[in-house]
Amino acid sequence: MTTGTTGTADKVPLFGPESQFRAFFDDPRWALAMIRATVLEAAHPQIGAALADNSTFVAHPWRRLRNTFLSMRRMFNADPAVREREAARLNRLHARMSGSDTRGRAYDAMDRAARAWVVATLYESAVTMCRLSGQPLDQDTMERMYAEYRTFLAALEGDAGELPEDLNDFWRYFDRVVEDELENTEAARIILYRLFDHLPAPALLDGAPTLWAAGRAVVSPLLGAITVASLPEPYRRRAGLAEMPGAPTLMQGAYLAAGLTRFLPEGWINAESIIEALSLSPDSDDPRARTVTALRARMKRASALLRLLTPLSGDTGPDPVPASSAAAEGRRSAEEFFRQVLDQTGDGHLDWPDLAAMARELATRLDLDEPEETRLYDAFAAWWRELQAALDTDGDGRVSAAEYAAAVPSLAGPALIRVAEVLFDVTDKDGSGTINADEHRALFRTAFHRDLTTTDGTYGRSAFVGDFLSFMSGRRRNTAYDPLLADA
Amino acid sequence: MDGNGRWAQRRALPRTAGHRAAETTVIDIIEAARAAGVEWLSLYAFSTENWNRPGTEVDYLMRLVRRVVRKHAPLLLARGIRCRFLGAADPRIPRELAQDFDDLATLTADNQGMTLTVAFDHGGRRDIVEAAKSLIRNGTPADDVTERVFADHLPFPDTPDVDLVIRTSGEQRISNFMLWQVAYAEWVFPEVLWPDFRASDFLTCLHTYQRRDRRFGGVPPQTNGDPS
Repeated sequence: MTTGTTGTADKVPLFGPESQFRAFFDDPRWALAMIRATVLEAAHPQIGAALADNSTFVAHPWRRLRNTFLSMRRMFNADPAVREREAARLNRLHARMSGSDTRGRAYDAMDRAARAWVVATLYESAVTMCRLSGQPLDQDTMERMYAEYRTFLAALEGDAGELPEDLNDFWRYFDRVVEDELENTEAARIILYRLFDHLPAPALLDGAPTLWAAGRAVVSPLLGAITVASLPEPYRRRAGLAEMPGAPTLMQGAYLAAGLTRFLPEGWINAESIIEALSLSPDSDDPRARTVTALRARMKRASALLRLLTPLSGDTGPDPVPASSAAAEGRRSAEEFFRQVLDQTGDGHLDWPDLAAMARELATRLDLDEPEETRLYDAFAAWWRELQAALDTDGDGRVSAAEYAAAVPSLAGPALIRVAEVLFDVTDKDGSGTINADEHRALFRTAFHRDLTTTDGTYGRSAFVGDFLSFMSGRRRNTAYDPLLADA
Repeated sequence: MDGNGRWAQRRALPRTAGHRAAETTVIDIIEAARAAGVEWLSLYAFSTENWNRPGTEVDYLMRLVRRVVRKHAPLLLARGIRCRFLGAADPRIPRELAQDFDDLATLTADNQGMTLTVAFDHGGRRDIVEAAKSLIRNGTPADDVTERVFADHLPFPDTPDVDLVIRTSGEQRISNFMLWQVAYAEWVFPEVLWPDFRASDFLTCLHTYQRRDRRFGGVPPQTNGDPS
């Protein structure tokens, strides 16, 4: 069961509910291990460059987390058809990512060695997380899990040849990569030192910026210290990461505490419901949304009280809440729109990866296959060329926030209208010429809004295109599109 | 809330001292009104015309109001007073102060006791203009506009008609205060300056109001006004 086939194991099925991999899904330790694995991934120069250029994890970490989670779950689904489809989707997604890093070295998200490294970090982090929490895996489980991860890689790549067949060789391979190939990449530094400091609140907690910022100020340095202390020593040395007294103890304590949750009754911690609840927006028609709205009102009051009770002397910091007058009218400033919607990768510039990230999010939501996916990407690519021609005044190939602010009105060109039309076509799965309730739910994850200009329960092409354009160019807030593209 | 400046001048103090002294009165009156069973209390703190005062005085007022709001927020919450700020739209209002206004309003939004409306950067005419704009924006046909419909477009449409306006320091002007809502209000003009105004003076004004004969433009003086 090493190459080619996916999950056609003869004894116990490698995928499905029994797998070791799934056993970790609801394990809180897995959250720490995932951060660690992501840092190790990002420290690989190729992957680091691809992440820095393409990933939305800085600006939209919660959406990214949810998508990753859902994708992992599909990859370990018991049904081989689901797995193959997801692998094909991931391959298409990664095939669209290539470029060169700041030092001019080319990267390609389809690079076989790099993809093997991603799987290797996930496996190694899972093993390490068990060691660090004082419940090490026995040799058999380690071997079995290694086979699972190799099959995972094979499902993506066609074969798992880049990872050694034998577990002993794997450890030599892992140490060699850590020693020789990992670098102090920008992406790794961002994850360690910037991501958690600036982590935006998930949709659920969006209404309590003060509480969120206060909690983040405490948790963020801790998470950073825990992650650094759990990295392999050779990498810490090479990347020049700080060794703080007490950090190893803190790290092991955190893993141990997370591991203790295994004594909780089964089902108390369910990663899926946690992630779903975090991305629940108050405008959604989910029955839980009412509870959430009530909770948010309480949190808003609590944070208002907190702000009012804060002594005056310390109020020099920037205010997290923008002036209410603009928000009240349902418009946002050009700068806000640029940051929340256009600059998906959070690097302060608008370039192709930002628009590709929008296309990716839309394609993921709609669960598109070829050729619809390519149509959508092509439409976005045409829009990018139009934007670049119109807005990139200094000719550096990307659009800065200032360039955008100077030319906002020219944003709604024919290519954007084309994007809206293609989006309508691919959303309208049954080709009926209107978007019905199910199709609407697939794209926006919520039913029609009450004041939507719908006729007999459907959403016509012109209304759809009009709404999309007014969101994209008129900068009007829109309850349907905001959770889709602006929420963290 | 007139007479802070004169109060200070009589004592050879800077005008700002008068504003500071006003804080005690504000809290005293809020408490007295609540105890007397008043359900709607509005304070005229700052008019749109007050921006014409010297910059230093305006700055001082902004800082003072911010301190007062923050200092008394827990008390207002505990007393079940719903606070809100009428006007407060000018960009010259410091952002921190606007945030505090928002916070206090959010914090006390669910309170069931007295509603305290602080008119800050308020102008009665501006409110009427805003209501007109809102009507036009909604595309209301001209024939459908009634007093009732119009009032629904004013800021804080739940505010009832004003029954009694107390203007301290002997000034006898409307000064652009809640023009729409004061249509049938009774007016009392005590001579006392605002920093000297106390709960007992407030009760005197309430008694004066009770003895008034409110006819709402009608002829037969049957009953005293029903504030609905």
